[in-house]
Amino acid sequence: MAMRARQFEEAKRLATSNLELAWWIFMRVSGVLLVFLVLGHLYTRAVVFNFHHELNYAHMVKVMNSPVWKFYNWVLLFLSILHGTNGLRYVIDDYIASGRVRAWVKVLVYTFVFLVTVFGTIALWGWRYQPMG
Amino acid sequence: MYRGREGQWAFYLHRISGVAIILFLTLHVTEISSSMFGPKWFNALLAFEANPIFGLGLVAVAALVLYHALNGLRIILMDFTSWGVKYQRQLWYGVWVLYVIVGFPMLFAMLGHVFGGGE
Ligand code: HEM
Ligand code: HEM
Repeated sequence: MAMRARQFEEAKRLATSNLELAWWIFMRVSGVLLVFLVLGHLYTRAVVFNFHHELNYAHMVKVMNSPVWKFYNWVLLFLSILHGTNGLRYVIDDYIASGRVRAWVKVLVYTFVFLVTVFGTIALWGWRYQPMG
Repeated sequence: MYRGREGQWAFYLHRISGVAIILFLTLHVTEISSSMFGPKWFNALLAFEANPIFGLGLVAVAALVLYHALNGLRIILMDFTSWGVKYQRQLWYGVWVLYVIVGFPMLFAMLGHVFGGGE
């Protein structure tokens, strides 16, 4: 079950398992890292970069073949997927009372997220983007 | 709830923004990764998304991300410092001050991309 702890000492006390405490810590550590990664992504891709005119296939060829951006985007992908999906788990635990429905919702959500993550990872590491023309 | 008036708002906004961002993220990763299908498909998809409705959607996502990030930092400060909980209300107002300072330039830059035309 999700914890509503607001202090580290309290979290240690409330955690029903070491795994649950580890997730609690992960949410905070990934949160701090995501501040830089997500806001950096927003700044470079949505503020500096004119996404309505410069986001096209040619941009993808450039960015997706660059090892630095591949790595940046891959860390961004994994941290935000893990952080966001664990957050969704807290929300599901809080609002779906029936154990059976809850289990099914989780299976569907995790499967969907997993497929998206595989697709995103292949796009980053398993594909050569051929220049146009 | 246990954190009083501002705390309740902070909690629901944090929750709603978090869920909205993870939903957006799954769409976003699918869309971006579909560039594997080649230039014809990808540029057609982007032409479809050239509608300002999609641009405004991105502005909304950015607004939610900025709130979630700043309030997330407030939560972390409350969790790991001895003074965070004591000053949580002041921190909550601090979140909004930072939100305006960082958010307004972002908002105008993004609206410029959506409506300004590009070179
Ligand atoms: C930008 C930096 C971010 C920071 C500092 C941050 C911080 C946090 C913190 C501290 C929590 C509370 C965890 C708990 O209650 O144990 C949280 C929850 C959550 N976050 Fe984030 N987060 C960030 C980015 C994201 C992103 C990118 C997503 C989506 C992909 C996301 C989705 C969620 C969700 C769904 C929750 C659960 C909300 C709830 O239980 O009410 N967060 N975040
Ligand atoms: C709202 C404005 C946003 C714009 C205009 C935008 C734009 C882009 C663009 C152009 C790419 C292609 C690769 C690159 O240029 O590096 C990309 C990839 C990516 N974006 Fe965003 N993004 C936005 C928001 C977000 C947010 C809020 C998140 C995280 C929660 C995010 C996560 C990602 C990830 C993980 C990738 C890599 C996907 C992959 O290759 O598998 N983006 N984005």
